[in-house]
Amino acid sequence: MAGPLALALVLGLASLSFIMRATGALLPNLPAAVTARTGGLAPALLAALVAIQLTGPNGVIHVDVKVPAVLVAAVLAALRAPFIVCVIAGALVAALLRAVFHL
Amino acid sequence: MHLNWSMRQILLAAAPIAIAVFVFGASFGVLAVAARLPAWSVVLMSVLVFAGSAQFAAIGVIAAGGSVLTAIFAGALLNLRFIATGIAVAPSLPGARLLRSLLAQLSIDESYAMSVRAGEPGRPDGRTLLVTGALLYVVWVFGTLIGALLGPVLGDPKRLGLDAAFPAGFVALLWPMLAGRHAVRCAIGGAAVALALAPFTPPGIPLAGAAVVGLWLAR
Repeated sequence: MAGPLALALVLGLASLSFIMRATGALLPNLPAAVTARTGGLAPALLAALVAIQLTGPNGVIHVDVKVPAVLVAAVLAALRAPFIVCVIAGALVAALLRAVFHL
Repeated sequence: MHLNWSMRQILLAAAPIAIAVFVFGASFGVLAVAARLPAWSVVLMSVLVFAGSAQFAAIGVIAAGGSVLTAIFAGALLNLRFIATGIAVAPSLPGARLLRSLLAQLSIDESYAMSVRAGEPGRPDGRTLLVTGALLYVVWVFGTLIGALLGPVLGDPKRLGLDAAFPAGFVALLWPMLAGRHAVRCAIGGAAVALALAPFTPPGIPLAGAAVVGLWLAR
């Protein structure tokens, strides 16, 4: 990625994150009904990101080495394995399947 | 009588979290460089954003071929929860509103959780938030730097399965959040809507749909 584009990514995300963290201190009287709902965002978005990562260029689920990689990571996460163990295991599964079966 | 945690207690409780944050930062650095971001921008992102899952999401979008705008959008949406934590910690922070809004930048999931543990019900401990947040900030940036330097040494990202590391990482971030019924239905709803929209809409729209579903199903 070109430097200016990377800088735009960093500054865009940084400024929005700054505003969100500052909002609570600047506007402490936001109704709880609004803020309580933000708790639903993280699980919905992370699940959507998993799903999107498994789709091909046409937007449909594409079965390749990422699917078993995600399943292994999910099992490890359910067993309360640390984050890095899940990530490395997922990558290893994909790398091994590619190396052995040339997928 | 309520006893505030001593500095020693805070640091002892934060130490294992700091190790985890360092490793998380290093893995973020490796993957971000593998997604072809310049190393300086990867470190700068950790310096300025300081939010693991949001940074991870933004890089994941880039690695999957998405645009910069979609990446910013995905990361920013994940950070919307900081509005709620910001309101919770604001009364515990020192100074006027401007100073408090600056100090609130040290709130991440881990430092917020520690401040809740150290505080009284309904009033997180401000000092624990600031000490833990500052420690984790240094560790996060340093971890990212190490990862960004290490990344290019590792070799071809695809041969190493690093493209599969993103969905694996998202699953690992998601799983501990699935504690309540609400969270589970938000996750299922978000994934379902994203998959339904993906074949027909440009990148970013499926994530926006998932965000709407998350807000809608949250309570």
